[in-house]
Amino acid sequence: MEALSGLSLAVVLAALGLWVMVSRRNLVWKLLGLGVASGGSILFLVALSHRPGVRPPILGLGPGPAADPLPQALVLTAIVIRFATLALALALVILLTEHRHTQDARRLEEEE
Amino acid sequence: MKFLLVCGLAGLLGLLGAGLVGIWPRPEFPDPDPVAKAWGVANAVAAVVLGVRLWDTIFEVLVYVVAMVGVRFFLLGMRWQGELPPVAETPLLRRSADLLLGPILVFALYLAASGHLGPGGGFPAGAILGSALLLLALAKGVERLSAELYEPRLERLEYVAVVFLLFLGAVVLVLGVRTAAAFVVANLLVAVEVAIGAWAVLHRFASARGEV
Repeated sequence: MEALSGLSLAVVLAALGLWVMVSRRNLVWKLLGLGVASGGSILFLVALSHRPGVRPPILGLGPGPAADPLPQALVLTAIVIRFATLALALALVILLTEHRHTQDARRLEEEE
Repeated sequence: MKFLLVCGLAGLLGLLGAGLVGIWPRPEFPDPDPVAKAWGVANAVAAVVLGVRLWDTIFEVLVYVVAMVGVRFFLLGMRWQGELPPVAETPLLRRSADLLLGPILVFALYLAASGHLGPGGGFPAGAILGSALLLLALAKGVERLSAELYEPRLERLEYVAVVFLLFLGAVVLVLGVRTAAAFVVANLLVAVEVAIGAWAVLHRFASARGEV
């Protein structure tokens, strides 16, 4: 049941982030939604690698099946990459605001 | 657009429900112990990150560095000219940040150096170091912190760490060396690189805001 609650929380987070990304018109809000959605996907991967009764994937921590180390290794790099790409996107939004004086996605599209 | 979004979200929830009911069988986990033993470390996650999938990690570090260079490039010479809101002085937060910095530094170094034996590794250690610097910046103000800490030499150190990491990856991948020492050095290099990148980006954002 623990893994199930983690999975459902992950899907709820991803849905929340997607909703914010589509419904909000401000670019900074969209980036916040992107962060929440990617947090949901990260939580999904971590929750998938856990089953009730498994031990951590470290040698010498007792008998029994171990958790899958691959999703954790993927997530480890995904978190850092998410930070880097969000920082880059925020820098681009700052640049856009400096040149076009708006963060409204719809108005930016109309001005094209 | 809203209709499509609602359909997509309903599809996501339907997929979750189908998974919970048990339509797809969940596969058995493979045993990670042989992987960890083959690379001479205790932590199977470290064996995957820095051993089996070393190519992924190297290119991931390169993506991180390129993104950081992009942030520096786009914010170059940009300065907010308007009035900044005043920062509230909070002695409690400032003192506790000063007290907490030492333990956080030691903890991050411990995580980076023992990442091959237990939970930890270079990426979490770098993130912890970066968030410690962020805590200090929130408590004392970026202006005072960057007067103490910021140096262009730090950014050069980040590139040096990346070059050494590439060299180490070449040694492990081409020569086939499998020792725990390579894991320790690689974890420390990754921690240095991630922490300095985070701090440099924080400094660059603050200077674009006109604080430094």
